[in-house]
Amino acid sequence: MLSPLEVSVVAAAACSALGLALLRRQASAYGVRVLHAPAAGDPAVGVRYAFTGAMSPGAKESVREHLPSYLAGLAYHAGIFTALGLLVATLCGVPLPASLRWLCRVPLILGTMGGTGLLLKRMLQSELRGLSHPDDFLSNLLATAFVGLALLGGTTWLLSAALLLFYAPLGKIRHCLFFFLARRNLGAFFGRRGVFPPGSSHVH
Amino acid sequence: MSTDLEPKLEALTPQDFARGLEVFHQSLRDAEVSYLSACVRCGLCADSCHYHRAEPALENMPARKLDQIAAVFRGHFTTMGRLAPGLVGAKRFDKDMARAWVDAAFGRCSLCGRCSINCTIGIPLPTLFRAARKALGAMRLVPEDLQASVANSLVHGNNMAIERDEWVETVQWMEEELQAETGDPEARIPLDKQGARCLFTVNPREAKFFPLSLQASAKVFWAAGEDWTLASDGGWDLTNYALFTCEDDQAAAIVTHLSDAMTRLGCEVLVIGECGHGYQSARWMGPEWLKKAFPFPVVSILELMDQYLAEGRLQVDPSRNPLPVTLHDPCNLVRHGGILEPQRRVLRKAVAHFVEMAPHGVENYCCGGGGGQLAMSQYRDRRLKAGGVKARQIQATGAKVVAAPCHNCIDQLGELNKEYQLKVQVKTVAELVAAALITPHSAEVLP
Repeated sequence: MLSPLEVSVVAAAACSALGLALLRRQASAYGVRVLHAPAAGDPAVGVRYAFTGAMSPGAKESVREHLPSYLAGLAYHAGIFTALGLLVATLCGVPLPASLRWLCRVPLILGTMGGTGLLLKRMLQSELRGLSHPDDFLSNLLATAFVGLALLGGTTWLLSAALLLFYAPLGKIRHCLFFFLARRNLGAFFGRRGVFPPGSSHVH
Repeated sequence: MSTDLEPKLEALTPQDFARGLEVFHQSLRDAEVSYLSACVRCGLCADSCHYHRAEPALENMPARKLDQIAAVFRGHFTTMGRLAPGLVGAKRFDKDMARAWVDAAFGRCSLCGRCSINCTIGIPLPTLFRAARKALGAMRLVPEDLQASVANSLVHGNNMAIERDEWVETVQWMEEELQAETGDPEARIPLDKQGARCLFTVNPREAKFFPLSLQASAKVFWAAGEDWTLASDGGWDLTNYALFTCEDDQAAAIVTHLSDAMTRLGCEVLVIGECGHGYQSARWMGPEWLKKAFPFPVVSILELMDQYLAEGRLQVDPSRNPLPVTLHDPCNLVRHGGILEPQRRVLRKAVAHFVEMAPHGVENYCCGGGGGQLAMSQYRDRRLKAGGVKARQIQATGAKVVAAPCHNCIDQLGELNKEYQLKVQVKTVAELVAAALITPHSAEVLP
């Protein structure tokens, strides 16, 4: 039997899923561009590359030159996914072995550090601060709190989960959906033109 | 800039803003809406932009430029933008935002797409800057000299308003030069040859300022025994500046010059000379503007030269290009065109010492002249400053020759050469190949 707070978390998750589905539907309503120029490469191969090699430091200068931010981002997202996994287990009443719980503390700690670090960076770097909207700070705070409080569990963590899930489709956390759509489109675009992956262009 | 722009902004009516928004909205599809909803403003894209690398400032960050556009999208077309604009950074499209759009989309972006491959999320930002430029076009806010290039193409069939007689005379002059250079009185630069296999197209700058570049391409065709022709009337100019004004109807009308010439002359292959935006316009965008595939292939002369060398139709002696050569990667040809290796294979055979820039290929920097920047005089100082990144790349190679398979880039590199005292020669790939050619005539005098 779920507690009232757990029911709130489930309701927030449902709202989140509904909101994201609505956003997806709104985007889909704009229609798809029909392309006529013959392809020089395979869009599907480009999509695969976009989600793999194209994100690696070897292919991205922005990663190579900002490794601390990149690693903080990886840790942050690993922490978020770990916390989400723990949330599902908690709501489903699945008991986790103590060893696994201890193991989960590693990504949660690193994720909290990563999220906090990125928040501080946004606050302290003038360019990044100028680029930011209140949504950027709020989204980070909600997600970092969710990851950090997962170390403790309990009521406060569930409350943070409900807030995060409810807010997800309203602010930039919606990138949890649009990241995949954007990167898929990027991969298809460059794959079709024979740019992704390197050396994939057809010989005319 | 402000002196030109401000009166136009002052004159805008509510109908103009509504029209701009409508055009912007209509240009969006599922993909663009996903991009507009995806940016997390991490800021990691900043130094991927040559504008920001040359002058680190918030306004030069790709994410900031994108956010100017996304803010209007959120303000007018999203629920959260209407309900909580302050929270999510939504703006109404007013005079200030129109000014910001002009500055971001025209004044601080060459549409090179380097930020696309460096974006954490994977947003092809030029797609959205094009949508903004299109909207600004509907509001008559395209910089006038850029729009004038488009008007020339529409009225005269080429962007420099070269009259037919002048073009034909230039070709005939170059034919005489070709005959003198090759020692072959039968060497031709064919005009309007019916049924030729290849229709070759050039940048009007070649006719006006760089005729030796045209002669070099002709020498390559001559040596390879290619069956080719130029068009004397509409259909010889490969440029399409509507790619940069982003007015698709005008772009379609300009690219129709090429397809009409192909039909008129009965050619099999449309060959695009060394021009980045010309290649992207004809190869990739032309069919989209016309909403149908061409009934003929579109290839770059770089691909043809690569093929000729691979098939043994051209013989080259790299010692005839003894100076160290580096290669510039035009964004529209490489990052947006997919032509990456042919020019490298050609240069490795045709020059004695080929040295790559760092970074190179898809990761190479824009020279600063793309996106119509060369045609927008009000942004000249910014363009040259942003081009400093390219200048430093060239200096670091130690090369004495820069091969640039794009006449727009050549113009910008020429200006950078003076501005930054690079002391390099800037040449097309065809010029280097032509210099290295071993022809029956030249073979006799080889030791």
